[in-house]
Amino acid sequence: MNQQLMHDRLKLHFGYDSFRPGQESIIERVLSGRSVLGLLATGGGKSVTYQLPAMLLPGLTVVVSPLISLMVDQVQQLRARKKIPATYLNSMQDPTESREILKGLAEGAFKLLYISPEKLQQPYVQQVLKRTRVSLIAIDEAHCISQWGHDFRTDYLRLPQVVKQLGAPPVLAVTATATATVREEICSLFSIEKEDVVLQSLNRANIAYDLVEVAEEIDRRSYVIDQMDRLQGPGIVYCSTRQAVDVLTASYQLDGKKRVHGYHGGMNSMERMLIQSQFLAGELDVIIATNAFGMGIDKPDIRYVIHYQMPASLEAYAQEIGRIGRDGKPGYALLLFSWDDWQIHQHMLEKEYPTQAQVQKYEQLCNTGVPLTNEALAMVDISEEMGALLAFYTERVLASYEAAAVGESYPKAQIIWQETEKRRSFKQKKLAEMVSYVRGENCLRASINTYFKENDHQFDLYCCKKCGLTTDAYFQTNDHTIAKNEQIKWNLRQALDTLLPNK
Amino acid sequence: MNSRNSAAEEQDLLCAVALNAMLPLANERTLQSAYYILRGRKANQTLQDVHLYTLYPYYRMFSRFPREDWEKIVSTLFQAGWILPVDAGGTNSKPTFTFSDTGLQHAKHMYQKYRFDVWFAPFTQSDLAERIEPFWSRLHLMVQTISQMHHGDLGFIPVVSDKTAQRSVKNQLADGAMRTAWKQQLSDELYRLWEPLDEGVQELLFCQLSGVGQVGKTLGQVAEIRQTSRSYLMLQFRYGLAASIQTLLAESNHYPLLSKLVTESHKLDPRLTESAARTYALLQTGSDKKEIAKKRQMKESTIEDHLVEIALRCPEWDMTTYLPNELAKEIVETSERLDTSRLRLIKDQSEATVTYLQIRLALARATRGAK
Repeated sequence: MNQQLMHDRLKLHFGYDSFRPGQESIIERVLSGRSVLGLLATGGGKSVTYQLPAMLLPGLTVVVSPLISLMVDQVQQLRARKKIPATYLNSMQDPTESREILKGLAEGAFKLLYISPEKLQQPYVQQVLKRTRVSLIAIDEAHCISQWGHDFRTDYLRLPQVVKQLGAPPVLAVTATATATVREEICSLFSIEKEDVVLQSLNRANIAYDLVEVAEEIDRRSYVIDQMDRLQGPGIVYCSTRQAVDVLTASYQLDGKKRVHGYHGGMNSMERMLIQSQFLAGELDVIIATNAFGMGIDKPDIRYVIHYQMPASLEAYAQEIGRIGRDGKPGYALLLFSWDDWQIHQHMLEKEYPTQAQVQKYEQLCNTGVPLTNEALAMVDISEEMGALLAFYTERVLASYEAAAVGESYPKAQIIWQETEKRRSFKQKKLAEMVSYVRGENCLRASINTYFKENDHQFDLYCCKKCGLTTDAYFQTNDHTIAKNEQIKWNLRQALDTLLPNK
Repeated sequence: MNSRNSAAEEQDLLCAVALNAMLPLANERTLQSAYYILRGRKANQTLQDVHLYTLYPYYRMFSRFPREDWEKIVSTLFQAGWILPVDAGGTNSKPTFTFSDTGLQHAKHMYQKYRFDVWFAPFTQSDLAERIEPFWSRLHLMVQTISQMHHGDLGFIPVVSDKTAQRSVKNQLADGAMRTAWKQQLSDELYRLWEPLDEGVQELLFCQLSGVGQVGKTLGQVAEIRQTSRSYLMLQFRYGLAASIQTLLAESNHYPLLSKLVTESHKLDPRLTESAARTYALLQTGSDKKEIAKKRQMKESTIEDHLVEIALRCPEWDMTTYLPNELAKEIVETSERLDTSRLRLIKDQSEATVTYLQIRLALARATRGAK
């Protein structure tokens, strides 16, 4: 494939003059029909690696993505800004809508289809795709397929099967977080050759890593509030719970200087969308949020991320601070931790996974054929969340057993429990790794990079707390206090004329 | 005034709302029933109460009212001595409450202080609460779209992600002539619609809209700017929309465009979840559950869940096709004899031909009767 053409298309659809590290070599391989694993840092431009080939390949590019909201966002941006004929299919759509889309696909109206993994399992969807020419299957968040990934999803399990059914077109698996074990598993599942694994440096040279241990909640709050006042924004403060978001937001708003808003899954969708748009438009300086915020948000100038509490894994941590400074300018990651954080995570882990007795009760309930309503589950002391978890593992055990031992009976409850136990100890391990990161003596950049098998430890301005850093460098220099909303005399006609200029 | 004072005002306003919502319910209903009304619960009992005691302005006033906050309000009201508990009398009655003289006075005082008579005036029938949210979503999205069109930039992310609203706006703008009409007249219709409203309400409605050069503010942000309570703004916001809807319904010929955003009829039964309501609509056309499952491309078991929901919430539904009256009686008797609602136990004690669906249907109606 012609290099010039690739660059022309990059400029035309995406407005970039050059590729970012790793992108070009992934795209070249994909265009020559090879299956590829691309490992790009968060914010490293993963989506370009399949969106650009989609425009150059003769047939359809199918993108498997686990996040519905992300899918909708990307498709809207593709259609609006990049003029790429894209669409999406997921289980949230009503039948009429999916029928229309499938019809369009059959007619070749689209170059790019975003689809959720569960939708891709459906026979009639597969039928349509089989008749359409699929040139490439891109698998976003590919680490979800690995049981060693922190984000494992059952509906990813059957993807290799689906790829075969669609005539085994080339696969592009992309992810930002994958340890060596996860990489190997992805490669073997999709028959990706070693030379087709493209690793971009995961080191984020422009981010400085800071770490502060706090003893009391009150210290934690006043420290963070103070930092929020001083640091050069825009910034994000991540909290572990919705309640912590609400409390911190309320206390900041009492006397903080910046324009701040909370964001979490408990807010209605219009409110969340408004807050997100305000942040993107620069009308808010800081978002205080749970991990519900940030996925798919394209804001290159985020200057800092503060973790109000220690996250549950280094993967999650790396993903969240990965949103800092995508423009390449200096950024600052501050992590606060206390002994309480560890205890809270520990407690949540205990509550999340079932005892052997609970699994047995669940199994018995399933065998009765009673619909698994929340009431039915509550009668055997299983919470809604636990029910969902058990359904997940039952499905997974069934999936692996129907392939292996057809028709034979096996101790299902026992196996399911063992699986959940495996998962629990896996998460326990992730938590322990997080704890050893915050308690370690070594360079923070080196520790986190080593964890992801990255040997490049270069940095731009400062490295980390252990190597020495001056927070002042990240404080805002000019004390621009936001002008209070001036009281302009309200005039409905004028206001409407501005928003809806009737020329 | 700072946020601390706003919090106090919030509490004060919520007490005012709670007291006035409770007023007609005193001595007849539980305190919970007022909570269910404010949250807009779709249960039969709640809908009946709203109707019976003409509590239309209160229905779904705070659809996300957390229970803890409600408990706090209730204990404040008790502590102030405005309401007093009344224990359950007979075996069948439930605990209720009554008003003290000071409570009655206070309720009246608060009603005036917060100008409830103004804000509640447009709520004269029960379907307004159901109409407010969809109307606002469509209006918001329409304004954003038209604003973007005026700037020749349709590459925007819609603030309203609700699919039904998106489809409705898309339909409105599908035709070229209609598109031109919307572009030319939306601003003028909005002006005429909102001009008669209180200026504070005009601004409140307007500043929540999005378009080119303006990202809508959330109610919480407006509350912060105005240094007032969020819930009080919610009341005024609902008033503004309800008044708009009433005007559009009454004078649709004066508002040929905006009236299209309200008149879309509510074919679906509001007592049910959307999906169950679609099933119910099909049932009424004579389809049986197999046919419905096929038509809707859903599992039959899902349709069965809908049937149970319909049995619970739509007492007029005749379910004898699925459950003969005789059998219903037998199942309820078995349930009472065993003193259980557990399906498995009842099924074990019933004839082999009795299905889980039948047991669920029978129990759905039985609990309704008992309450």
